Amino acid sequence: MKKAMAIAVAVVAASIVAAAASGGQKVASAAQSISCSSPMKLAMVTPITGAAGFLGTEQLSWAKYAVATLPQKYGLKVQLVQGDTPVEQGAAPALAVAQKYASDPKVVGIIGPSTSGDAEASAQTYFQAGITQISPSATDIPLTYTVNGKKLGTPAFFRDVPANNIEGPTIAAYIVDTLKAKNVVVFDFQEPYSQGLASVISAYLTKHNVSVTRLSAPNTTTDYSAYVTKVPSKTDVVVFPTQQPPAAQTFAEQLVEQGKNAVVFGGDGADAPAQFKHAGDYVANFAPDISGIPADAPIIAGWQKANPTMSLGSFGPPTYGAVQLMLAAIKVTCAQGHGTIKSRADIYRNMKKVTIKNWILGGTFKWSTKTNDPLNAHFYIFKIQSDGKYKLVN
Amino acid sequence: MQFFIQLTLDGLTIGSVYALVALGYTLIYGVLKLLNFAHGDVFMVGSFIGYGVLQALGGAANPIVPVWLLLLLVTLAAMAGCAVLGVVIERFAYRPLRDAPRIAPLISALGVSFFLANSMQLLFGAQQFNYASYNLSGGALYFRGFDLDGVHVPLLRIITIGAAFVLMVILWFLVNRTRTGKAMRATSFDREAASMLGIDIDHVIVFTFILGSALAGAAGVMFALRVPTFAAVGFTTGLKGFTAAVIGGIGSIPGAMIGGILLGCAESYTAGYWTTAWSDLVVFSILIAFMIFRPRGLFGRVDIRKV
Repeated sequence: MKKAMAIAVAVVAASIVAAAASGGQKVASAAQSISCSSPMKLAMVTPITGAAGFLGTEQLSWAKYAVATLPQKYGLKVQLVQGDTPVEQGAAPALAVAQKYASDPKVVGIIGPSTSGDAEASAQTYFQAGITQISPSATDIPLTYTVNGKKLGTPAFFRDVPANNIEGPTIAAYIVDTLKAKNVVVFDFQEPYSQGLASVISAYLTKHNVSVTRLSAPNTTTDYSAYVTKVPSKTDVVVFPTQQPPAAQTFAEQLVEQGKNAVVFGGDGADAPAQFKHAGDYVANFAPDISGIPADAPIIAGWQKANPTMSLGSFGPPTYGAVQLMLAAIKVTCAQGHGTIKSRADIYRNMKKVTIKNWILGGTFKWSTKTNDPLNAHFYIFKIQSDGKYKLVN
Repeated sequence: MQFFIQLTLDGLTIGSVYALVALGYTLIYGVLKLLNFAHGDVFMVGSFIGYGVLQALGGAANPIVPVWLLLLLVTLAAMAGCAVLGVVIERFAYRPLRDAPRIAPLISALGVSFFLANSMQLLFGAQQFNYASYNLSGGALYFRGFDLDGVHVPLLRIITIGAAFVLMVILWFLVNRTRTGKAMRATSFDREAASMLGIDIDHVIVFTFILGSALAGAAGVMFALRVPTFAAVGFTTGLKGFTAAVIGGIGSIPGAMIGGILLGCAESYTAGYWTTAWSDLVVFSILIAFMIFRPRGLFGRVDIRKV
């Protein structure tokens, strides 16, 4: 018995030593220098399957197009790899994907994570591995700002779209000034994106003498009947910042079923014309319809040729922009290292030096000097038309 | 009063779905003494089959058959598909373990649950599928119906609640007024004695799985006619169906029905009068309370063991 115990202890001890050694090896490999003339990897981390798959599929198509067309302009060879993070499974897939990329020395940057919850869960893992992330859609405020003494992002986390502190007031101001609402219900879905957005919107509305009712539903909710019942009949607007557009559609239909006339206002997570198409409702998003920007015409044409069955949406263009920013920062780092990236961490250290003229969302892209956010970015509001199409109204 | 009526209507609607799921749990437990934790995923598969048939028949916006026939075909297809699935599950996952210790088929049931959920996700992705019943006949299922003290009771809810009640009555008739039902009851009471009396136990068990799984298929369609469905939807709904079966007294058909309705109403009243954030907490607290204080549920019988 004692012999067996001794063997077991020895096996456990050996396992711990092996694990520690392998961990150390991972850190060492992450810090290895990379030749700028050799192929390097960018990873797109987004929900490719799941209820938010519409978002990830669109982002992935634009990332692929950017990687196919941009690296040669920057003198780089880049391969795109992809990590799927279905929203239904919480942050676990994002963490697993982060650990995988952190241990791969050829991964020099992450386009994503796409959702705020995933970005918050994996930021430290990427930071410790020195990997830069540029999210084209994570908008939770504490990712780049200190809120209540806490900052959930790291110096390696950037986003090329504005945060909820821009989205929230944009939505709230439209509700107050244009819709002239007096009674508003604000939902959250018990996860970081919607909770942050709901707090900002509620605070703004309350400050402007709008009566606010807060409702909170688990993000696994499928039947909203009981919640619709709780929406007071005098409600003018329901702010519904879900990440699952079919849920917004169901909620809008159940409002009608109970004879309630409130307008549903979705955030960027509900922006999916094929799935949320209840006429008269609204969505907000961080990107305008770029088809109105003349300089983007060849980019759109190229992307459309590569993706003939897809239609232009709001999530793709910031993803293209994120790849462009990452490549520009890699180029600066390569020049600094005379053809070598000495450490992956140098890329995020150089990120703020990057500016992009003829930015895909219009104008010139510059980083804010205070946070890792874009300078002077905006949110846009769309109204759903009777044919289900989205029309830019603000 | 209107608020109360609306909450009750909400509770009855979702409770009817829980009741149909609970009936499957209770039937299979009654005959096989097995907690079939894959039952929620059979429900999910039923909702997917319904979606597929609906699309094959032109979808909600442009159906190629009248709406009543469309709903009937969708429901029958889901019931038939789930019945076949139930037979397959019984044959390959439970029958080989029939004489094994009780924990073995329980673990097998959990395995089947994960297998079904993940297979559907691999095949169809994890996105939500919307029946878009709002578009059927220009919203007739939502706008038609009747008013009850100022509360609109839409046709879709009447169909959901009515279908659950009709299916329960049919099930009760099958179990209590037919020879096969008598064989089921005998098998439930004492499997060995029933076998010695010439009852084909395998046949009875397969029939039980057909019935239970068909009910889950119907529940899947009733559910997905109102809200989007997705590959992971079976887990939570299955747990709630199980809770309803425990509340009603697992093994009791009227108990499962009443348990489902009570659970749906508890969920709805919690959301309405207390907080929407805690409705799941309350539901599963009720499960724990019943397990501790009245494990045989409201209508379950006490097992008498003679020494």
